[in-house]
Amino acid sequence: MFKGFGSTTNRPKAGKEGLTMKPIRICSAALLALILSVAVTACGSSSSSDTGTKVGAVPTTQSLTGKTGGALKVLASSDVDYIDPGAAYYQFTFMVSYATQRPLYSFGPDDAVNAVPDLATQAPAVSSDGKTVTVHIKPNVKFSPPVNRAATSADVKYAIERGFLPTVANGYAGAYFGDIIGVKAFQDGKASEISGIDTPNSTTIVFNLSRGSGGVVAGALALPLSAPVPKEYAAKFDAKNPSTYGVNQVATGPYMIQADASGALTGYEPGKKIDLVRNPNWNRATDYRKAYLNTINIEEGNDDTTVASRQILKGNAQINGDFGPPPPVLKQIVNQTPDQLALTPSGGLRYVSMNTTLAPFNNLNVRKAVLAVFDRDAMRATRGGPLLGPIANHFIPPEIGGFNEAGGLNGTGVDFLNYPKGNLALAKEYMKKGGFPSGMYTGSQELLMVGTSGGAAQKSAELAAAQFEKLGFKPKLRLVTQDSMYTKFCNVPKAKVVICPNVGWLKDFADPQTILDPTFNGKNIVDVNNSNWPQLNNAAVNSAMDSAELVVGSGARNKAWAAIDRQITALAPAVPWIWDDSPNIRSTDVAGVINKFNGNWDLSFTSLK
Amino acid sequence: MSALLAVQDLKVSFDTEDGVVHAVEGISYEVKPGKTLGIVGESGSGKTVGTLTIMGLTRAANTQISGKAIFDGEDLLSATEQQMRAIRGDEIAMIFQDPLSSLHPFFTIGSQLVEAIQVHNKVSKAAARTRSAELLTMVGLSDARDRLNRYPHEFSGGMRQRVMIAMALANEPRLLIADEPTTALDVTVQAQILELIADLQAQTGTAMIIITHDLGVVAEVADEIAVMYAGRIVEQASATELFANPQHPYTQGLLASIPRLDRDRTAGLDPIAGRPPSLIAPPSGCAFHPRCPRAFDRCSADLPPLERAAAGSEHLVACLLSPEERSVKR
Amino acid sequence: MIRYILRRLLWVVFLLFAVSFITFVIFYLLPSADPAALRAGRQPNPALVASIRHQLGLDQPWYVQYGRYMKNLIFHFDFGFSYQNGVPVRQLIFSRLPASISLAAGAAFLWLVVGIGVGIIAAVRPRTKLDRASMGLALVGISAPVYWLGLVALYLFSSDIGLIPILPGANSYVPLSDDPVAWFTSLIMPWCVLAVSFAAFYSRLLRGNLTEVLSEDYIRTARAKGLSERRVVFRHGLRSAITPIVTIFGLDLGILLGGAILTETVFNIPGIGRLSYSSIVRSDLPVIQGTVLLGAFFIVFANLFVDIFYAFLDPRVRYE
Repeated sequence: MFKGFGSTTNRPKAGKEGLTMKPIRICSAALLALILSVAVTACGSSSSSDTGTKVGAVPTTQSLTGKTGGALKVLASSDVDYIDPGAAYYQFTFMVSYATQRPLYSFGPDDAVNAVPDLATQAPAVSSDGKTVTVHIKPNVKFSPPVNRAATSADVKYAIERGFLPTVANGYAGAYFGDIIGVKAFQDGKASEISGIDTPNSTTIVFNLSRGSGGVVAGALALPLSAPVPKEYAAKFDAKNPSTYGVNQVATGPYMIQADASGALTGYEPGKKIDLVRNPNWNRATDYRKAYLNTINIEEGNDDTTVASRQILKGNAQINGDFGPPPPVLKQIVNQTPDQLALTPSGGLRYVSMNTTLAPFNNLNVRKAVLAVFDRDAMRATRGGPLLGPIANHFIPPEIGGFNEAGGLNGTGVDFLNYPKGNLALAKEYMKKGGFPSGMYTGSQELLMVGTSGGAAQKSAELAAAQFEKLGFKPKLRLVTQDSMYTKFCNVPKAKVVICPNVGWLKDFADPQTILDPTFNGKNIVDVNNSNWPQLNNAAVNSAMDSAELVVGSGARNKAWAAIDRQITALAPAVPWIWDDSPNIRSTDVAGVINKFNGNWDLSFTSLK
Repeated sequence: MSALLAVQDLKVSFDTEDGVVHAVEGISYEVKPGKTLGIVGESGSGKTVGTLTIMGLTRAANTQISGKAIFDGEDLLSATEQQMRAIRGDEIAMIFQDPLSSLHPFFTIGSQLVEAIQVHNKVSKAAARTRSAELLTMVGLSDARDRLNRYPHEFSGGMRQRVMIAMALANEPRLLIADEPTTALDVTVQAQILELIADLQAQTGTAMIIITHDLGVVAEVADEIAVMYAGRIVEQASATELFANPQHPYTQGLLASIPRLDRDRTAGLDPIAGRPPSLIAPPSGCAFHPRCPRAFDRCSADLPPLERAAAGSEHLVACLLSPEERSVKR
Repeated sequence: MIRYILRRLLWVVFLLFAVSFITFVIFYLLPSADPAALRAGRQPNPALVASIRHQLGLDQPWYVQYGRYMKNLIFHFDFGFSYQNGVPVRQLIFSRLPASISLAAGAAFLWLVVGIGVGIIAAVRPRTKLDRASMGLALVGISAPVYWLGLVALYLFSSDIGLIPILPGANSYVPLSDDPVAWFTSLIMPWCVLAVSFAAFYSRLLRGNLTEVLSEDYIRTARAKGLSERRVVFRHGLRSAITPIVTIFGLDLGILLGGAILTETVFNIPGIGRLSYSSIVRSDLPVIQGTVLLGAFFIVFANLFVDIFYAFLDPRVRYE
């Protein structure tokens, strides 16, 4: 799920407008090859350069050396979703979590695909049947005060267990660790521990799975949920409803949120600030992080992102947190101070979903007609145009495994996604095939369409409605807050929403399963927080996913999921219209380092000049 | 005896959005020490504006004032605002028509009296309060000390007017201007107040101008009476002379409209027909001619001068009718 | 008077009940986000959602939830916990109250001084150029949107992004207890921006009132006493003309103490207004309830205070 401008807990990590990394490549390879006219307009407005590298793009490898010391001021518009690293599921929160917590694995700044051992000593050992994942951990990583002892495998076990507690309710534990044996019994309160997690000694942890999904489990160990939590300290907080461990958390990373002697946070005031200080128990020798900065002050509540962006550019603050510069500021930066901009692919996409269980979109040809007629170039323009990323032609985004195998920027080759500006004639052909001889929809029923009010999202929703009207559909657009759009409408199949114009998805990690499985697998249609918005329940797709989930090895996995991407695209359940880039900005006195995995500044590598 | 106040050819006009209002069109009169002048006229006749102007209370950017008002040898109309402040409330004091709206609703009677005393006398607050209580006793209010702490809305209309009188007399003025002092009061109270005013005037020797639309009021207290119509004095005489021998048809009309014990009750009252004239565009000639039962050709053309009703007489009248015609009772 | 106050206090309690009740009902009737779904994460199994619903008490009928909420509030002064971050609502509100009070009090001082000053000058010099100029400006001030004014002020005067960098800009608020000087300078711009429309409104209101009062009979009496014009205007005129202003001022201050959303947002002042705004965006019912109740509390108490104060100002008004 996409983070638009508000907040949402499911998959809210994207939502920042950005520039493409290599526009020349996009123009020549993708769009030019497809349709010349569109490519010319699209590329004409982007600022190409001699080197072929776009203004503001993050270099393939960044300089990671810096000066030690100093205080960094970060501006944010909203608060973190949950300060508890076990509940956090938001890009901006991850930015804090990866500086304060050491999961088993994490991502260095320059590699968004391959995680590196963090608390772990080496890569996870996945058994050949995919049913067992074994990880060894470092013996000398200590918790911050007041716990002060070294983290053990039992602390990792408890961290994952508490993710299943209703008082913590981690947003992705079920999706990635649900196959661990004993989870059900633990969740139902029939067991005090998850039986499938073994800790034969204090530095070894073994995950026993009910099926061969070890490849995905191994990947998910790079999410903050696997950061150790001391049970003897945390249990009393987790017993509260909701858990108050978040405001009493201890750290293993180089930084900790400022706290008093008892461990209660003093550096966190919701909506106001998060103050990070050095963790006195952090041992540089055990960590790949550089941790140049002495303190990091995140100041929240900067709702006017134009003002906040300018404050950063002028040097009153150093970097942005949860917001991207608004389009006018972005254009100004590109023209005047491109050095202060850092663009990186987000690993996410946005689409307009159609409910495949309800008329008229239970008709495949009608859906294809919609995809054909959609002016996706205009849709992208509502967010700021080509600066913010390529037009999406299928569902796996760039920089995620399987992207190239599914057709890359060119797309999978279906004719109805051949026209970024839409093709009415082609659309009418599909309408005729779908049983509407005039080529226009002749039904009289209004189609419930629920979008997000305000800002760019509302513009996108209104433009999407106009696209449907081109074929004679009568969308009834209802605009609500983003949280409400998801939790009361689009995420609830019973709400019978026909069109969701403002949905999107962001990878959890670089595995294509994290993009396609939650959003198009029929078995993932649930009553609450459903993220398969089209409610696509195609037997062929479902069974292909069942198999692909168990594939081990990234090459094979990418191939398997790319094939599924093609299958889904052919079923036209949604109109993909942009693969977002994340734009980040900094002041001139800071040597900013982007974490490409998280699409955000990396607090552990950024330094002052 | 020389006059305490001599008003000479006073003219007052205001610029308004509708045009120039000629409120007072050249009036002259005298008030002698200890004597009472009654000025009688309908509302809009200029009787109030004339006296407020003498007090310097109509001065504004849109007001034109000419003429003289010699008080004790000084022309009040050319006095500075500061000089006027020293005279107002001290040498010349005023009583207004509606005692409720004329007293500040948020301040106690005591504080308003004390203020009136202290503005002209350097005395302590305690002394001023003692004097205030004496004044209230003087105007016939019991429990004076207690009443000082009360607010105007806690008094009856008659009591409030007594308070106003006390405030006016606080600094023993030489001239008291009473503008319709009884109009807003009950009939029974009216008589009490008039009696009080007359008594106090006798005690203090203050001269007085009493302004009213009611000839009955001036009949009881005035020595001399001036009748005003449309900004001019149309008749002026001693009270006895005026009542005995009214010359102007307007005065005659006013007298006819007073209920009198000596008149046949069945005859009924005889109010003057018509409405007061516009002061922006007054009728030509004699302003009264549209309402005058005895108007003739000249009345609409010529402005009658204020002249002696008869040679050597102190009785002045402004009417184009011959003396014989004027005297004829209808 | 005491009986009157007691009766009014009872009424206040009733009003607060009504306000909290209405907030609750609105929250359940209008489409806001589902707090349990927000917490549950993706593809939750139904048992987890049910469990969270139960933990948050959302599985009960709304009136039971309301009853429990009110019970905790009344007996424990407990406003519950934020759905969003689990922090006690009481703590959230009290940590933000000083900023809102600072903003409201400073701005109120400013607009009273400016509004009353300009109003008097315009009233005692009616139809002069000064009068027309100040009343014209006031009309502009009333119509200028606060958020726009705030942005203009920032782009003109803030030390980081302004053309004339003389004052601390957005996000510079410091609590009074931390650094009084920085507190003061950081609030200069917000105070001015917030005060503009109020000052404009008050000056026009006062001019109207004072002009009317100055034509009252008792003002003529005051002049006839020989009082100086200054004393006539300030003691006799202003005393009457200011009374309606006191009423409005009490209410305005009450409303602002409950949060000045736009000003707090544009200058990023961590006050109640920002808290209530973000809680509405996030459908965080306990926080919404807390801020709404706080706002209602300030408004009804401001009302009560104004009514009592009114009796002291205007002796004709006595409450029995």
